[in-house]
Parts: sequence; structure tokens; C-alpha cells
Amino acid sequence: MTTVESPSQGLDPIKAPSSKLPKLGTGKLLIPGKGFGPASSQGKQRLGNIIVGFVLSLGGIIMVGPLLWTLSTSLKTREGVFALPPQWIPDPFVWENYVRIWTAGPLLSGITNSLIVAFSVTIVGTVFSSLAAYAFAKLRIPFRNGFFLILLSGLMIPYPTLMIPQFVMFSEWGWVNTLLPLIVPGLFGNIMMIFFLRQYLSSVPDSMLEAAKIDGAGYLQTFGRMVLPLIRPAIAAQFILWFMAIWNDYLAPIIYLNSPEKQTLQLVIASFNAQYAIQTDYPLIMAASFVALIPVLLIFLIFQRQIIESIALTGSKG
Amino acid sequence: MALNDVATTPPTPATKKAANQRSSGTSRLHARERRIGLAFIAVPLVGFTIFTLYPLIFSVYASLTQWNGLGPMNFIGLGNYERLLQDEYFHKALFNTFYLMIGIPIGLILSLLLALAMNRKMRGTTFFRTIYYIPVISSLAAIAIMWQWAYNGDFGLINQTLAIFGIDGPNWLENTSTVKPAIILMTVWKGLGYSMLLYLAAIQSVPASLYEAAALDGAGALRKFRSITLPMVRPVTFFLVVTSIIGGAQVFIEINIMTPDGGPQFSSATIVWYIWQKAFDNLQMGYAASMSIVLGLIVFVITAIQFRLNARNSFSIE
Amino acid sequence: MKKSRLIHVGAAFLTATLALTACAGGGNADDDSKKLTFMFRGGEDEKKAYEAVIAQYEKDTGVDVEVIVTTADDYSTKLKATITGRQVPDVFYIAPGEVQSFVNSGVIMDITEHVEGSDVVNLDNIWQYGVDSYRYDGTVQGQGAIYAMPKDVGPFSMGYNKTMFEEAGIDIPDPDQPYTWDEWLDIAKKLTKDNDGDGELDQWGTGLNITWNLQSFVWSNGGDWLSEDGKTVTVDTPEFAEALQFMADVENKHGVTPSTAQAQTLDTYQRWMKGEIGFFPVGPWDVSTYQTLDFDWDLMPYPVGSTGEPATWIGTLGIAASATTEHPDEAIDLLLYLTANEEGQQALVDANIQIPNLIDVAEEWAAEEGAVPANRKEFLDVVQTYGRALPANRTYNGEWYDELFTNIQPVLDGDMTAEEYLKEAQPKMQSFLDAANADAEMSSVN
Repeated sequence: MTTVESPSQGLDPIKAPSSKLPKLGTGKLLIPGKGFGPASSQGKQRLGNIIVGFVLSLGGIIMVGPLLWTLSTSLKTREGVFALPPQWIPDPFVWENYVRIWTAGPLLSGITNSLIVAFSVTIVGTVFSSLAAYAFAKLRIPFRNGFFLILLSGLMIPYPTLMIPQFVMFSEWGWVNTLLPLIVPGLFGNIMMIFFLRQYLSSVPDSMLEAAKIDGAGYLQTFGRMVLPLIRPAIAAQFILWFMAIWNDYLAPIIYLNSPEKQTLQLVIASFNAQYAIQTDYPLIMAASFVALIPVLLIFLIFQRQIIESIALTGSKG
Repeated sequence: MALNDVATTPPTPATKKAANQRSSGTSRLHARERRIGLAFIAVPLVGFTIFTLYPLIFSVYASLTQWNGLGPMNFIGLGNYERLLQDEYFHKALFNTFYLMIGIPIGLILSLLLALAMNRKMRGTTFFRTIYYIPVISSLAAIAIMWQWAYNGDFGLINQTLAIFGIDGPNWLENTSTVKPAIILMTVWKGLGYSMLLYLAAIQSVPASLYEAAALDGAGALRKFRSITLPMVRPVTFFLVVTSIIGGAQVFIEINIMTPDGGPQFSSATIVWYIWQKAFDNLQMGYAASMSIVLGLIVFVITAIQFRLNARNSFSIE
Repeated sequence: MKKSRLIHVGAAFLTATLALTACAGGGNADDDSKKLTFMFRGGEDEKKAYEAVIAQYEKDTGVDVEVIVTTADDYSTKLKATITGRQVPDVFYIAPGEVQSFVNSGVIMDITEHVEGSDVVNLDNIWQYGVDSYRYDGTVQGQGAIYAMPKDVGPFSMGYNKTMFEEAGIDIPDPDQPYTWDEWLDIAKKLTKDNDGDGELDQWGTGLNITWNLQSFVWSNGGDWLSEDGKTVTVDTPEFAEALQFMADVENKHGVTPSTAQAQTLDTYQRWMKGEIGFFPVGPWDVSTYQTLDFDWDLMPYPVGSTGEPATWIGTLGIAASATTEHPDEAIDLLLYLTANEEGQQALVDANIQIPNLIDVAEEWAAEEGAVPANRKEFLDVVQTYGRALPANRTYNGEWYDELFTNIQPVLDGDMTAEEYLKEAQPKMQSFLDAANADAEMSSVN
């Protein structure tokens, strides 16, 4: 644990598109060091930091331990996995496991399928969600709050309660064993996203939009030129969260997708697990699981700031 | 989620009427706004009707029938619900589901402590935040596969680590007494970063002046924690408790992957796992639907309590 | 204006995604050639063997066959998902236990006429047990119309590690003279030892999975699961209890098996393949995998209980055709090709994944010199003389049967006697069986 970033790196609050606009989140979240007031003494503070740093490092080892160990297993020989005393570091390194996974199961089509589902749902769904959020926040509609409440009530119904009828419905449409049951419901928008975007838009002064209206701009024009730029950071954050949720989904895919080449990535690695555990080919299973983690891990590392901001927002606005 | 503060002035009939009288131009404009607004919210509302409302009604009906998903639905009144009352496995699944929630308070306490540590003025907190957050964004399917392997009796990470300290660990997932704690440990590990982040956001939004004032009054660190920090993070705690219970009521993926047959003597089977098994493995869709309705009621009650208490706490959107 | 443009963009997106997924979903675009789907399960070897046979069939007939294959564990769930999902494959494996509900729900086709009228099939030359498993007259299974043809019969036989016997200086088992339980246990005790001298056992007499071996011990001891009429669960008899207790004692009293913890870490199947286990059951589907074991092994009769007769179960899977297939003739043709065609059968047998379905081929096969296992005849003996159907094969569903095994662990750990446990289990099993019978009645009325 020697790589310590400078505390100021990547810590600036998200820049709101216009200084007049509300900031996403508190903006303070990412600034460390606002402790319990002034420290009573420098020395005491330093000692505390050492202790806390030690505890955090220990915790950090526990957090990454299983992941590192997965990586280590994925690079061992099949026999190396069962070596006693254990091999903490593979001996020899078997990089070939990462080649084998591509032919040992439909990993590639799993990734493609997951990408198709996640992108089509989030892109189309985000368009409709933001339009709806705009209408709910800024347009005069009869029974606006009533409609909004109805939508919100959907959040109270757990998916398992709906899965049997949905399954029957999609079977009758001939959609089983296609990606459609995973895609189509999401295209109509995401209630959580509508909720947050509406919340975010509510703090935009009406006068700005009214002015545009008086200038004769159409609603879509207003939406495209004014609203969209305003809520872009909020959309980005929600988009990423939604994308990851779909990417990691398991229950719906396991119900609908039967043939291996139509399965999403999560199902593919689960069937790797079922299939190769019998043959005790743990390196192969771990390599496939590790590969399955990489895309989301990359997204996280790239968009870390937005993701963390928007999650903090979820909690404080829930 | 306070709904009493929809940002713009609600269009009451009176104001609308007044607007209509003002001039025919405005009224045409308003009619257009209504039309477009309704069009924007129509998409999610249609989605809601097709994919939530209709399935919900269907589910209620299906729960009153003996039905295998293929043949006709034989109406049997409350027969399935009577069977639920006697079904030992359903009771066990219910018990297991709630047992697994023991992880919730453990996770909350740990993550609050972590958040306090992260809030210190010290280098490296950003790095640790990333480390602790990685399990949160990782796919649960992949994580479950990794942990299943980590829990292996002789060759898993956990027992090999324990062996360093001379402890002979059990075969975690195969014993009725250890399988649930094992799953709890994994869940806590995975969720820690999320609640830590929310706590961190809440702690950092506490005005520094509060602590300064307390320090002037001679309050110690513990005292400040108890009378300032704890009350200030209560809304987050509340939010986390409720969302974790809702999520906890629907645990499925880790059970399905780590203990595919419901664990030794059914000791890790959860409600959703049992619903899934009855519906799609035993083709008792009617019976499964009745369980899913019970699950829906549980979640509904928890969510309703959240709404109620939320309103009372005035923990709402600014 | 602007609105319509945006809506167009939205619609274009929607169409694009739908088109994309329809392609990814492998639509049914081309209608010029007849296309069948065949769904089955199996390990790598079985998969390869079937794919080869199907490639041959495609070449011979010009019919296109799409293959869906799953792991053995997933198969039942996946098959049910396709059926409830209204995407029934044209031809697929079914287990005998599924026949009643699939027939009552109109999922599988009555193929009696086609089988009897076929010049490919000679019913006298196919194991009767296999065909009878898929007969159902609407109330009783085992007689009446034929709804599937057996893809194979799977005699579950007892094997032993010959190399281990020779090293221990023990006479190898007589293929015609079964051991009694006590004799068998004595040998198991002799084979259980610590070879490398580290103070821990590394070789065991046996290691039997209760789910797949209890049948042999119960039946050979004169017990059974069900009454003759299939209405009463009879696991609470002394014969049954004695058999279960014997199996439990083998594990926790006599210590001739890996401990529960050891077996959980590396199951006895893996340990047998590593040469650590003396007696271990062998099914025909194991033979291809066992070709590469680095010790010699062979088959023997199961040890006998109080009846003095060995007993075990014969697995079977059938191949059925969908009642709603678009190409019934081709579907039946493929079904018969896979189950009764001589070349097809030969290819599957050569792959070492099953015993021949055709009796004359089987007899020739059993007599083959230098084969592994040498005592192939034991498989045929099971089919012809001492094998039986699994208890749940002829009931509407298997919940009552599974119930026995769900909570059996305390007996195997010695925390509970077999008698106590069975007394407790019988009423629960009975109520599941009653429910199954009631369901059967309700579904056959429709």
C-alpha cells in the first residue's frame, strides 16, 4: 500500500454546466480532511493517522484479498490449485488459461449479448426517462402528481412478484430465449432515473425555461437546448449506474435465456462454474470470472468521480 | 422521497381556469403544453401498465389457482395460501431470508467506523475509497463464484489463511451451521463500500461550526460523535436499513450460485430461491405466485413504513 | 416538427435494437430448408458424439438440425423453461418421471404408430425396460401408448479398483458370486489405510453417495419406497431402516469412507478417479472418462442384503418429439435415427458413453475381448436381471422422493438413527405423494 495519491487529485466537485445551477451532491464529499474540528495537537493527530492508516490497510487487504486470490488461482495449473502448502503466487504462471476461456464456453457471445442489452436499454431508456422527467418537473399536465405517484408505486413491487406473469406474457409473444424480455421493458424508461432527474430539474428556476418558451422555442427544442445540457451530469451518473445494474443482472436472464450462445455474460460465467467445477478446472473458472469483472471495473475507474457522486446523491436524496 | 414538495406551483383547476380566461392564445399554448407533456410521460406510464400493473394483477389471480404454466388454471381459492401456512420449506426459506439480514447491522456499524476513519485529514483516503468500493461495483455472480471457491474446505482462501494461524476451518458452504454466516460475511464484504460512501457524504455535510461550538463547550471526541455525528447521519442509516431490507428480502443470486440446491438441508434457501425453484423447476406456477405475493406484501409494508417515517423525519429533498 | 424528428430518432433506435436482438436471437428467417431443434444434455464426450451423429443425419437427409445442449444439472430446468416458454424443441431428451405431466399438458407426441409401423425399429430388439418407461395409458405409466423412445438404458453398476486389490493382496471379486454386505465391508476395511505414513488415511474402501446408492441396499434387503399401487410411501419398514442404517454405519461407524468433510472438499467421485477409493459405482456414461484412469478397474455385482439377490437401478433417458412441432415427420425420423438406427447407435457406443440400445448389438459388445471394463456383461446383467426403475419414475412428480434425501445428513453423521429418521420422514413424503397424485388427477381431467 505505498501508492498513495495526492489528496487533491480527482477530488474537485463535479462542475455544474452553469454557475447558476445546483451542484450535484454536496460537492464537499470528495474533499477529505474535514475532521472533527481542529486537532488538539499535531502529534496526536499523526499517531491517530498511523493507527487508522494501519487499520484501513488491513481492511483494504481483506477487501482486495479475494480478488487477488482469484487472479492468482486463474494463473495456476489445475494441480497447483490443490497444492499443499498453498501456492500464494502461481508457480508456474499459466497465462494460457486466459486463452482457453474463449474456446471453453461462449464467453465472447456472452459479452456481446450483455453489451447489446445494456446499451440498447440505457440509451433508449434514458431518452424517454429524461423526457418524462422534464414533463413531470416543468410542464403543466393534469394529474401530474397523481401520475408520478403511480409510477413511483412501481418501485414498491419487487421483481420476483412480477416475474411469473411476465414470463408467461413473453412466452406467448415468442420472446423466450431471445434478448427481448431483457430489453423491451427497460426501453420505456426507468422510474428511479425519472425520479432523480425530476428532482434535479425541480431546482432549475422556471423563469429560465419560461423565457425560452416566450421566445417561441418548441418543447423539444427547449428540452434539447436548455434542459439536456443542464441535467447532463445527472443523466451521466444515472446512466452509468443503470448500465452497471443491467450488466450485472442475473435473475431475469436465467429465466429467459436457455441456449448458451444467447446467454449474457453473467450466465455464461455461472455455467462455467457449474460445468468446470466437476472437472476441478478452477483456474479456468476463475479466469472467466475475472474477465467478467474487467469491463465494469474499467468503467468504474474511468468514471469513478461521477459514480461516487451519484451514489452519495442516492442516499441523501432517497 | 417527499412528494409534498413538487417544485412548481401545482396546476389547480382554479389557476387553469383563470389562465383559460386570460386569452385564447395562452389557452392554446397551455393545451399544447398539456398534450406534449402527456406524450412525454405516456411512455413510462405505458411501460408501467404493461410490465408492472398487468403482471401484478395476473400474479394475484394466478396465486388463486392450481397451475403448471402449461395447462389451464384451475381456480382453487385460497388453497395455495393454506398450503403456505403448512409448508415447512417455505417457513424455512422465510427464516433463512431474515437470518441473512443479520448482516445489515454488522455492515452498517463497520461502514460507519470506516467512514469516520476516511474522514480524517490524511493521505491515501482516496485510494482506500476506491479499494473499498471495488466489490460494490463487481458483478454479484462473479463475486459469488469467487467466494464459493474461497470457502472451499481444504483449498479455499479462507481456510488456507486460517491455517496460517493454526485454525482448522470448516467446510463453510456444506455445513448447516456455517453456510449462513459464510454468506453473510460475503454480503457484508460486498456492501461495505456502498454504505461507507453514504455515511462519508453525510458526515462531511455536517457544518464544521457545530463541532467547533462543541469543542468550545469542552466536549470530547466521543461526546461529539454521540451528540453530533450520530444524529446527523440518522437519515442515511434509515435509508440504508430500509433499502437493505428490501434488497435482503430478494436475495437470490448468491444462493443460486454458491449453494445451487438450497444448501445442506435447505439451510440457505431464501424466499426468492424457493419461488424460482417452485415456478420454473417444479412447474407449480400457481403456488409460486402465491409466495411471490407474500414477498410483495413484505416489501410493500417495509416501503410504506419508509414513506411514513420519512415524511415524519422531514428527511426530504430540498 | 422537432417533436416528430425526435420521435423518429426514438423509433429508429427502437427498430434498430429490435432488429439487432432479433438477429442475435437467431430468428426463423429461412424457410427453404426444414429445420429441427434437438435439445439434450451431457458432458463433453456425449456432446461430441451426438454432434457427430447429427452431422451424419443432416448429410443423409438434408434436414437442418440445431442442437441445444446443457449440463446434466441444468437440463431439467432449462427444458421446462423452453416448454413453459412455448419454445418446445422439436426433439428432446425426457426423463421417465416427466412423462405423465408432459402428456397431460399436451407437450409430447404419441409416437406409437410410427414406432410400430417403422421399418427401422424392431421393438423386440430394444430393451423392453427402456421402451416401457415411456408408455402411459393416461392413468398408469409403463403400459399403453409410447411417448418417447429410450436413448439408452443406464445400468448403475458397482466397480472396483483392481490395482488396489492386487496391491493389497486381496482376491478380486467374483463376477458371478456377489459379496454379502459383511464380506463387502470386511474388504472395504482392509482397503482403508494410510499409504504415505503421515498418520492420515489416504485410501478408503468406498465412498457412496446416498442419493444414488441407497436404492441398491434397500431393494436387496427387501424394502421399497412405494406400495404396489403407488399410493403409499413405505420407507418406514424395518428392512428399509436396516439398509439405510448399514450405509450410515459404513460411513460413520466403520470409517471406511472419507469423512463428510473430506468428501465435501473433494468428492468421492474425484477421489475414485485419483485411485483413492476401492469400491465405487460406475454407470455406462462414466466409461469414456474412466478410459484414461491410471489404474485398472472392473465391474462386479452389488453386495447383497437379506434377500441374497443383488439389486440396483437402471437409469434411462428417452427422446421425445414435440406435439406442436412444425415438422412432425422429420422430428420422428430424427428421433428414431437417434434411438434405433444401427450406425447411429454404433457411433454412440464407440464413444463409450452408453451401452447399445439394440439387444443384439449389446450382446456382441459385451463379448468383445480386451475391452475396458472387461466385465461389460455386468451392465447387461443389471438390465436383464437385477436392475429396477428409480422409485420416482412412475409418479406424477418427484417431490415426495426428494424429500427423503433433503434432511438425511444427520443419519449419515450418526446423529440420528435410520429408524427415527424414516419414521419422521414417512408422513412428509406421504403428503407430497398425495399432493402429486391429486395434481395428476386434476391435470388428466383436463
